[in-house]
Amino acid sequence: MDVIFIDGLSFALPLFIMAVGGIYSEKSGVTNLALEGLQGVGAFCGALVAVLVANSFSGDSQIPFYLSMLFAIIGGTLFSMIHALLCIKLKANQVISGVVINILAMALTTFLTKQVNRGVFGAPSDKFVLGVSNRMTIPLVSEIPVIGAIFKNIYPFEIIIIVIAVFAWYLLYKSSYGMHLRACGDNPQAVDAAGINVFKVRFIAVMMSGALSGLAGMSFAYSISANFSSSIYVGYGYLAIAALVFGNWNIFPTLGACLLFGFAKSAGYFIVQKLQMPSSYSDLVMILPYVLTLLLLIFFSKHNRSPRALGEIYDKGKR
Amino acid sequence: MRKVMHKIKKGFVKVLGHEKYQSITIPVFAILLSLIFGAIIILILGKNPLEAYRSLLQGSGLLPKESYAAHKSMLTDFTSFLNAWAPMLFASLAVAVALRSGLFNIGVSGQMLTAGFISTITIGYSAMAAGIAKPLVLIIGLTSGMLVGALIGWFKYKFNINEVVSSIMINYIAQYVFSFFINTYYVDPVSRQSKIVNKTARLTLMDSVVGDLKMDLPLGIILALITAFAIKLLLDKTRIGFELKTVGSSQTAARYAGINVGMTIVLAMAISGALAGLAGVTNYLGYDGSIRPKVLTSTGFDAIAVALLGNSNPIGIIFSSFLIMVIGKGSTYMSSTAGVEAEIASVITSLILLFSACGQYIKYWIKRTKDSLEEESAREMDKREGDK
Repeated sequence: MDVIFIDGLSFALPLFIMAVGGIYSEKSGVTNLALEGLQGVGAFCGALVAVLVANSFSGDSQIPFYLSMLFAIIGGTLFSMIHALLCIKLKANQVISGVVINILAMALTTFLTKQVNRGVFGAPSDKFVLGVSNRMTIPLVSEIPVIGAIFKNIYPFEIIIIVIAVFAWYLLYKSSYGMHLRACGDNPQAVDAAGINVFKVRFIAVMMSGALSGLAGMSFAYSISANFSSSIYVGYGYLAIAALVFGNWNIFPTLGACLLFGFAKSAGYFIVQKLQMPSSYSDLVMILPYVLTLLLLIFFSKHNRSPRALGEIYDKGKR
Repeated sequence: MRKVMHKIKKGFVKVLGHEKYQSITIPVFAILLSLIFGAIIILILGKNPLEAYRSLLQGSGLLPKESYAAHKSMLTDFTSFLNAWAPMLFASLAVAVALRSGLFNIGVSGQMLTAGFISTITIGYSAMAAGIAKPLVLIIGLTSGMLVGALIGWFKYKFNINEVVSSIMINYIAQYVFSFFINTYYVDPVSRQSKIVNKTARLTLMDSVVGDLKMDLPLGIILALITAFAIKLLLDKTRIGFELKTVGSSQTAARYAGINVGMTIVLAMAISGALAGLAGVTNYLGYDGSIRPKVLTSTGFDAIAVALLGNSNPIGIIFSSFLIMVIGKGSTYMSSTAGVEAEIASVITSLILLFSACGQYIKYWIKRTKDSLEEESAREMDKREGDK
C-alpha cells in the first residue's frame, strides 16, 4: 500500500510545481503552453552540469544533485525569457510562441546532447545518464500507520519543491507583487493606471514559470527516467496545464488535481502488479487519472473562469 | 553611419511597407531571416550551408541528386514527399478551422490516432476489394475523428470544460487504450508495431511500377488539396463559415446576432475533428502502414504552428505546410550527405515559426519607421521652404 503514496507523491509534486509556474504566468495574463519545453531545457541544463561535475566529487556526494537542481532552475528561467520577450515585448501570438518554444526546446536539447556527448565525452550517445537520486526516510513520523508512508523513501527534491511551493503561494496571494500580478491578468489597464509597469510584472511572472518548470523537469529526470534524453518530452507539461485549468488557476485546487493524477497513476500500477496481470494491462489502468479528471470536470467546471485578460497583448491605448 | 541606417530603414519600409501585401511579405521576410540564421549555425558547425540547403531540396525531390539507386529518381523522392505532406496539410487545416472559430484544438494527434486505429481494425485487416475499402477507410476515419471532435465541443458547450484540457485528456486516453488493444490483439512480434494494413485498404499505392521506376503514389494529397479549397469556400462563402468566424471574433456579438453559439462550437470542433480524422488515415493507412503503440505523432502539435504560420488561411496553409514539410522530409538526406545533424532542420523550422510569430511586431515597427521617415522628410521640406 505504501508504494501508492510514495510513487504517487514523487510524480505529483514535480507536476504540481510546474503547474504553479503555469499559474504565475497565466494569472499575469500570459498564456503559457511552453511549460513542456521549459521543463525539458531545465532538465537538459541540470543534467549537463551533473555529468560534467560528476568526476570532481566522490561517488556518494550529494553536491552534483543540488548543483544540477540549481542549474535546471537557471536554464529554465533563461529559456523562458524567450517566451517572455516574444509575448510581451514583440507582441507575438502567445499560443504560437508557446508551441514553437516546445519545438525549439526539443530540437535544440536533442542536438546539443549529441554534440556534447561526441565532443566532450567522445562517445556518440543521445542521452546523459544520471541514475535515480538517493531517497530518505524521516524517522519517527514515518512510523505512523497509513499517513506515515508520505514520509517514507522521499526524494530530496520533494522537500525542495514543498518549500518553494509554500514560498510561491505566499508571494502570489500575500505580497503586493502577487496582487499586482493577479491584477495584470484581469485588468492590466487598471494596474497601469496605478503606476505599475505591466510589462515588468508579466516578464517576472513568465521567468518564474521557467524557473519552476526547470526544477520540475530535473526532478523527472532524476526519478522517472533516470537520464536525460528526448524521452523527457512525454507531455507532462501539457498535463500540468490541464491540472491548473482544472484547479481554476488557483494553487490549492491545482495541488488536488496533481495529487489525483499521481495517486491514480501509482494505484493503477499497484493493482496491475497485485493482480499479476500481463504488463499490457498497465496501459489500460493508465487511463485512470485522465478519465477521472474528465468525470470530475463534468461535475465541477460550471463556474470555471480563466483570467480575463489571458492571452491578450497588452495595449496601453485600449480602454 | 546615420545615413546608412537611414537608407536601410527606407529600404525595409519600401519592401515591407505596403499594407496590402504585408500578409505575404512579412512571412517571406521571416523565412529569409531564419534561413540566414540557420546558415550561420551551420557555418559555426563548420559545414557548408548552401550544400545543406540544397540537400534539403534534394531529399524532398525538388532538386536532382547526384546518383540514384535502382528504380529511384527525383520523381520517386517527390511522390514520397507528397505522401508525407498529406497528413500535415489535413492536420493544419483541422487546427485552422478551430482557430477561426476561437477554439484551440490541441488534440489533433489524439483524433488522428483514434481515426487511424478504428479504420485499421475495421477495414485495414479485412479482405475487401480496393474500390470499396479505400473510400470506406476515408469515411470511417472522417466520422470517428468528427465524433471525437464533436465530443470535445459538446463538453465545452454543455459543461463549460475548457477544450484544451478535455482534448489533452482524450489524447492520453486514446494513446493508452489503443496501445493496449494493439499490444494485445494486433501486434507484429518483429516490429513491435501493429500489423501492416492490407494493400487494398492503403491510401498510398506503395511501390507502384511506373515505367522503370518504383514509387509510392499518395492518393491522400489530392484529396487534401481539394479539401483546402473546400474549407476556404466554406469559411468565406457560406453562412456556416460566417457563423464560425463570428463566434471566433466575439461570442457576445454572435449571441446578439442570434447565432446559436453552443451549437456552432460543437459544429466547429466536429469539422476540425473530421479533418484531423482524415489526417489520421492518411498518416496511419497512407504514409505509415501501421501504428506504433503508446506514441502520439508530433504532427498534431507541429500543425498548430504551421496553421498559424499560414495565418489560419487554408491557402496560406498549403504554402506553410509545404515549406515545413520540405525541411522536415529533406532533413534525413541532409544529415547523410552534408553531415549536418537532422535536428538542425527542426531548429530552422522553429526559427521560421518564431520569426513569423513576431509578424505583428514587424508590422508595428514598419509603421512607426514609416511615420517617422515621413515626418522627417516633411520637416526637411519645411526647412527648405524657410530658407527660400
